[in-house]
Amino acid sequence: MTVAPGTQTEQRFALSDSDRRRMRTNRIMLRIIQVATFVAVLPVFLILIAILAKGLGTLDLAFLVNNPLDEQVGIANAIKGSLAMTGIALLISAPIGIAAAIFLNEYASTAVQRIGDTLVDILLGVPSIVAGLFIFLLVVPALGYNGYAGALALSVLMTPVVIRTTQEVLRLVPAGLREASLALGVPMWRTTIFVTCRTALSGILTGLVLALSRGIGETAPLLLTAQGSNDSVIDLGAPLSSMTIVIYNNTISSDPTKFAQAWTCALVLFAIALTLNVLIRFKTINSRVL
Amino acid sequence: MADSKTKVNIKTSAPKSSSAQRASNGASSSTAMRLLNVEAMYGSFRAVNDVTLDIEAKSVTAFIGPSGCGKTTLLRTLNRMHETLPGATVKGSIQVGGTDLYDPSVDPVRVRRSIGMVFQKPNPFPAMSIAQNVSSGLRLSGTKSKRDVAEIVEESLRKAALWDEVKDKLNEPGVSLSGGQQQRLCIARTIAVEPEIVLMDEPCSALDPLATLKIEELIGELKTRFTIVIVTHNMQQAARVSDTTAFFNMGADRGGYLVETGPTNKIFTNPSNKLTEDYIAGRFG
Amino acid sequence: MQASSHAFRTSRRSGELPFRLVTAAGVMIIVATLVAITLVLLGQTSVLWPFVDPLTFLTSGGWSEVESPAGEITASYGALPMLWGTLVTSIIGILVAAPVGIAAAIYLVEIAPKRLAIILTFLVEVVAAIPSVVVGLWALSELSPRLRDSIEWWIASTLGRVVPWLSEDSSNPANSSVFRAGIVLAIMVTPLVSALSREVIRSVPQSLREGLVGMGATKWETIRLVILPTARAGLISAVILAFGRAIGETVAVVLVIGGGATLIPPSLFQPGSTLAGQIAISYGDAGTVGKGALAGLGLVLLGLTLVLSTLARLMLSRSNRQGRS
Repeated sequence: MTVAPGTQTEQRFALSDSDRRRMRTNRIMLRIIQVATFVAVLPVFLILIAILAKGLGTLDLAFLVNNPLDEQVGIANAIKGSLAMTGIALLISAPIGIAAAIFLNEYASTAVQRIGDTLVDILLGVPSIVAGLFIFLLVVPALGYNGYAGALALSVLMTPVVIRTTQEVLRLVPAGLREASLALGVPMWRTTIFVTCRTALSGILTGLVLALSRGIGETAPLLLTAQGSNDSVIDLGAPLSSMTIVIYNNTISSDPTKFAQAWTCALVLFAIALTLNVLIRFKTINSRVL
Repeated sequence: MADSKTKVNIKTSAPKSSSAQRASNGASSSTAMRLLNVEAMYGSFRAVNDVTLDIEAKSVTAFIGPSGCGKTTLLRTLNRMHETLPGATVKGSIQVGGTDLYDPSVDPVRVRRSIGMVFQKPNPFPAMSIAQNVSSGLRLSGTKSKRDVAEIVEESLRKAALWDEVKDKLNEPGVSLSGGQQQRLCIARTIAVEPEIVLMDEPCSALDPLATLKIEELIGELKTRFTIVIVTHNMQQAARVSDTTAFFNMGADRGGYLVETGPTNKIFTNPSNKLTEDYIAGRFG
Repeated sequence: MQASSHAFRTSRRSGELPFRLVTAAGVMIIVATLVAITLVLLGQTSVLWPFVDPLTFLTSGGWSEVESPAGEITASYGALPMLWGTLVTSIIGILVAAPVGIAAAIYLVEIAPKRLAIILTFLVEVVAAIPSVVVGLWALSELSPRLRDSIEWWIASTLGRVVPWLSEDSSNPANSSVFRAGIVLAIMVTPLVSALSREVIRSVPQSLREGLVGMGATKWETIRLVILPTARAGLISAVILAFGRAIGETVAVVLVIGGGATLIPPSLFQPGSTLAGQIAISYGDAGTVGKGALAGLGLVLLGLTLVLSTLARLMLSRSNRQGRS
């Protein structure tokens, strides 16, 4: 459709029929786009309302501090299990991820960088169930279901997140800072640690929080490795529970009480996941403003 | 362009010691650095052609010339920064105190501790305070100093003419200062490690005229303690600030070469080379 | 004051090499992990081949293993229903998520006033922050029955009379369905489409927009004639990436699609199974050969993901080249 205003017969700026048609099309299409955005946002409200409505009822302190086999059922062991496995996974992922990011960004040649980026992309795209299956086949036949296996599976998923975010913030450190440090007679490795990483520190930490938020929301890999347990004692060498496993098991059970507990556990998990996410967003917005 | 090339070895411009004595001893005590047939390459492109000149100690030498004639590239070979870029290489020899900086047994890291550099865009470390910035060279390179760090920080800031302005806010971030102050902070940081030679790559081009003036005054004071080599595209600055001037130009192969070098007075009033005269007169560049 | 020039010779680079080795080790671990995943999965499938050859595995259904008292095993494993389920649910998901996500991206970047855009962007992203098992719980409890009684019923009673794969048993509508799983995927993947599309649209040069506005074009015309064509390769790449994410989704889908159907369902409104879901359901009682079948499913899933991410990257590099011209 050519855009040619000004081909008027009578007044110069009067609207022709074709102009009116175009404006009507414009209004309709913009309305459709608005509706689509509304549709995209709608699920948030629906899910949030449902979680609050159904989960708040059963939520009390006992739920948070008791264990599944107590009189009043609780998810304390699941909370501890989630934190333990995700925490250990972070202890594995953080050093490996940061080290790999440093090598790829500061030392690798362009060719190696490109290969490395591709590999990280692939690892990022590995479905969580495949990571779980991998550790399941590797570890469980010999050692049984245990918390360490769960942590391993999570670290497979969390490490590429750390690498990607760390790479991005390292890239943002201006080359002039590295040069200034080298020009002072500081060796490259100390420059990397005490200048480059130090400058990028808050970004690196944000990346770790991002990895944490991925780890704490995972279900499938933990099902295949830690499996879940009702034990109140947290033993990482034995089957271990997590909030996600509890929600899953309770959801598929036919017991309505358990189903209600699934909602409450979901509320707790969602609160944690949301807090982490808001933390990240807040940090990212802050640094962008700066 | 062979006919325009003039290689002049500067012997002396200061009337203080016996010029005969200095003339007989090539690597004399008043020569801080000798460049012998130095070439700098980016891959196969020769950015700097065959430069031979002496840098006199405790004086200011300026590299001037039109854009793209390799002045900055040459400067960066003097403290072995040029080679930190991928594919960048250096030929020839640069001698300091009888040692060739490019000898295989020489550690570039140690070279850079003795030959410091101030950059065009001030680059204080954002994650460090003013005091931490000044002491960063010492701390990060693991140099053990017998003296108290705070003492060194104050002394360096005084020598950089910045102490009075920052003495009450040493713990504020280095980036909280104005542009001119940041550059003086970078100078303080550089001299805190006590180099012999300080290289400056267009240190004032990102600064306003007032800040520029302060830095030029500072250079005048610093040259009593350090040998200074400054690259500048501002001819008048070179005339104000330097004792010796080296004029570079771009050749037909787009590489830079040394046209003429000599005492600043002479270069600006009575240069030997016609090209130099044309550049000074503003007929090109 | 003078540092001795002879000190240049002291080589004290003790820290450099160890540091480089340690950081290089980080990269090697990544490589090793990827290799290990491939090898473990491949190795495990070797148990399967004596019973079911690869071609049969990929083209048939069924999921059973029986061990006779004498120790003889009869096994029948087919990945086709799961492959079908994965692809169909993800396609349904993308068919909804792509237009909605891209439209939302257009709205947020081109149309919405700045403050509204910030709030809405946050809201769209929140869905991505919800753990998938929570989305699955909500979908099973709230979404699934509502979809069944509204859209599925409506389509089944109209188009379903003519098209068998849109039909349902109206006396006993299913509690899980492939279609509903597709909708859940759509909800989960829309934030990703939206986020990636926003980046792509934002990178369309301002000068192109201004050019058209200067000619008197309406907002929609600017979008249709300039922004979408310029962003096309990048948007396609975003959709492909989202598709890749969708095929890997496990729990939310498995809660809504039903448990362990071993045949391709006759209708979209019937239960089905997916590659990821089948692994999650049958890992527990997997027999010796069964483990091989699981590994086979994992390999198919991994292969699909790899193909899609390569496609997406190719599209992205094409969009970069486009942007430069």
